This record gives sequence, structure tokens and C-alpha cells, in this order.
Amino acid sequence: MTMDRQPMIDQWYPVALASQLPAGGRATQLMGTPITVLPGEPIRVVTADGRDLRITVRYGHVWTSLGDPAKELFDIPEADQPGRRLVEVGVVRVRCSPLRAVENFLDIAHFPFVHTDILGAEPHTEVGKYDVEIREQEDEVWATKVQFYQPQAAKSATGGITTDYMYRVPAPTSTVLYKTCPARPGEWDVITLFVQPLTEELCDVWPWMALFDDETALTDLIHFQQMIFLQDRSILENQIPRLLPLDPGREIPTRADLTSVAYRRWLKRHQFTYGAQLVAQ
Amino acid sequence: MPVEMHRDWIPVALSADLPAATVVPAHTPSGILALWRSASGKLTALADRCPHRGMRLSYGFVRGEALSCIYHGWSYGRNGQCQRIPAHPDLAPPAAIKAANYAAEERNGVIWIAQEEPETPPPALEGFKPLRSITVGADAELIAGSRDVRMRLAGIDALLLIVGTGGSETVAHVMVDAAASEVECVAASRAAEGWRRDCERLGRKDLAS
Repeated sequence: MTMDRQPMIDQWYPVALASQLPAGGRATQLMGTPITVLPGEPIRVVTADGRDLRITVRYGHVWTSLGDPAKELFDIPEADQPGRRLVEVGVVRVRCSPLRAVENFLDIAHFPFVHTDILGAEPHTEVGKYDVEIREQEDEVWATKVQFYQPQAAKSATGGITTDYMYRVPAPTSTVLYKTCPARPGEWDVITLFVQPLTEELCDVWPWMALFDDETALTDLIHFQQMIFLQDRSILENQIPRLLPLDPGREIPTRADLTSVAYRRWLKRHQFTYGAQLVAQ
Repeated sequence: MPVEMHRDWIPVALSADLPAATVVPAHTPSGILALWRSASGKLTALADRCPHRGMRLSYGFVRGEALSCIYHGWSYGRNGQCQRIPAHPDLAPPAAIKAANYAAEERNGVIWIAQEEPETPPPALEGFKPLRSITVGADAELIAGSRDVRMRLAGIDALLLIVGTGGSETVAHVMVDAAASEVECVAASRAAEGWRRDCERLGRKDLAS
């Protein structure tokens, strides 16, 4: 990192589940800075030297920033839609760059190999053409018209279906996935990955969901999502280098990786480089 | 990650520990390689990093005569060339998608690798047979000055091929007298465990001083 102010300082990050704050507070860190999330009305986030950080509570989580975010936290309109179950999955610690955790979430080509017989299965490995754009007005990365064959797309799915996906990156370490809703055709299930950067090579990942599913027990929904993410963790902790390479040449993408290519370009454009490797080594 | 070899041939595994159609991480003084044996029994050592997204190839799987990455299933032939990208089954992978490959040979039950094919074959170690590989939680310099060790294990003549892994771990490939009986081999194996504990105690003492 250079001495310049890292623009990611001024972004919002999840640091706790609002519903599960211990009485003594949650001691954690954000981008290398120790912080404590204190319960109460209002919830507070303080640094070791007594500084009160800005906070906002949304999507079940406490969000904070070491800097001064210019914008409110990104909106997920579906979160307020009646009839959805809001699922707080909890936290998974991963020894990887927060940016690699997001990039893996944007990837579908790994489903048959990492989430075998759940989110994908051979021989259904082909990734068709889909659309990717950086939406200038919202300043977000979007992938649409993504389709993939899945043996068990969700806890509520009973057989193989071709699932439609949309991916959205509204903040450098937060990403939102919209996918075919087995229980209610025409609506999208919302699954998010909110990533708390502890350091450049260590993160706490907070998945969160807004689903149309009145049938499945909450425990089963949480277990399904945790199982999926633990499969991802075995990949994320074994990528070399740990940091996400932003310069071309270090890693070779194909057409299936266009979302990842756009995400890397967007990160570079904004100098969102906390957790990134800039010069190929 | 270019792996530099400090001697011509590095012992990395015993043949018996790498059955057909499997892959293992091979520890060398300058990093890990993906060491695999094809279904037909051919041996290959490749750089332990998929050029696509950096995943360790030693976590992959072997099918037929190719090693596949566990992340997206990209498969590599014995020359390291990418042969197939499952996300695009009809695409011929560009020649640039390649994992570096290293010389790999086995002799007398030991698998050796080298950065470039050396002029001489790996040592035969005549009079010895492979027993087991063990990992010691101590620095190789401390154990043996990174040199191979000739010693007796439970009274059996033994040769330990020592490979430092560049960190605080050392791999020892244990060879014993070719004439040792099964019972003697079991005793030597237990004695090797004792040797490991001694080395680790020595390592801790060194750290404490």
C-alpha cells in the first residue's frame, strides 16, 4: 500500500450481527484497526483510542467505516419486500483477501467442481454468454442473463433446474446475487455476501439472505448456506497469491470470467486496492 | 513461483505413497510442486499453481493422463499444457495457458524431481529399500545441516534423505537395509518416530536458548 489515503477507508463494512451482540461488545478489527462494537441504543463502534465511528444498521448487520463515507449504504429494495424471510447466516473467517472472497462469489464456472451435485454437476459445465456492465450512474458492477444448470439450486429445490442469475457489486467487499426462486417463479431470491476486511489477507464473511421460502426450517437454510461457503473456503485459502492480482498477465481469464474481469477493472479504477496485488511478482 | 533446486535431484516422495491416478504436494527447499501419477502410471511434476485463478494444483484430481484443477476443472497434460476448459468445452485452450513442468523420475522406490533434466540419473541407493517418509517439525539445518543422515534405527542400517521445506519443517525419506525383515522394518519405523521427537525437542531447545 502507498502512503496515499486508501479510498476503501471511506466505505461501509459489516462488523457484527445487530441481533447477536454480546453484552460486553464484539472486539474485532477493520482493515487492521482494532475496534469494539458495543450493544445499546444506539449501537456504537469505537476504536482503541476512543474514537466513535459512524454506524448504520441494515440487513441485520452493524455497518461502520474508518473514514467518512460519501454515500449512504447501498440499497437492496428486496429487503423491504413483504413475504420474504430474512436469514442471518452468521460469520465465517477465511484466510484470504476480502477481494478474493467477493470474486469467488461472482463465479459460476466452479459450481460443478467445488459444489458438486449441489450447485453444479458434470457434464453440465458450460458457461454460456452473459451480459456484464459497469453501470455508471449507480457505479456498480452488474452481470445479467447468467444461466446455469443446477442439481439442487436451493434448499427448497427438489430436482435439477436451469437457474437464472444476476450479480451485483455495489461496494468493494459486498455483493448481491439474485437467483431463480423455486418457490415463487417470477421473483428473485436474494443472497448476499458481506465481507469484513480484517486485514488484506484475512476476512470475516457474513452471508445474508432474503428468500421466498416458508417451508424450510431456519436451521436448514443456514446449514445449506454455510456448507456452500465452507466448500468455497477450501479454495480461497489455497489460492496463490493470497492478494487479488489486479494487473493483467498474472492470471488468465476466459469468457466465463467476464464478471471477475469487470470487478477487477472497477476496483482498479477506484483504487480499491486493499487486499489487491498491483505489481505482478 | 519458480522453484530453484539446490542440488540436481531432490527426493520428494516414496513411490508407494503415490498410487496411479493421484496427486500430492511435493515439498522442496524452494516451494511445493504438484506431483501426480497418471492412470497408466506415468509420473509428472508441475508448478503448484493453476494459471487461471492461482489455485494449488496439488488439491486437484487425476483422470486418465491429465491433472485437473479442483477449482474450475481446467486440465493439464504431462507437459503442463492446458488441454481442456470445462466452462468452454468447444474451445481449444491457447498455448499460453501452461503450468511449468519439472523433471521427475523414480528409482529404487524413491521419486526425485529436478528443475532441468540432469545429465546423471538419480542415485540408486543400492543396498537400501524405502521405508516411509516422515515430516519433522524442526529446521533441516538444525537436524542435519540439511545433509542426508546415515544412522541406525533399532539396530537396522538406515539412510535418511533430508529435505528442508524452507520453513520450520523438514521431510525425511527413510531408507533401510534392503535385507531388513518385516519385523525389523516395523521396529525401524518406530525408532524413526523417536528420532523425530528427538529432533523436535532439539528444535524447541534451540528456540528457547
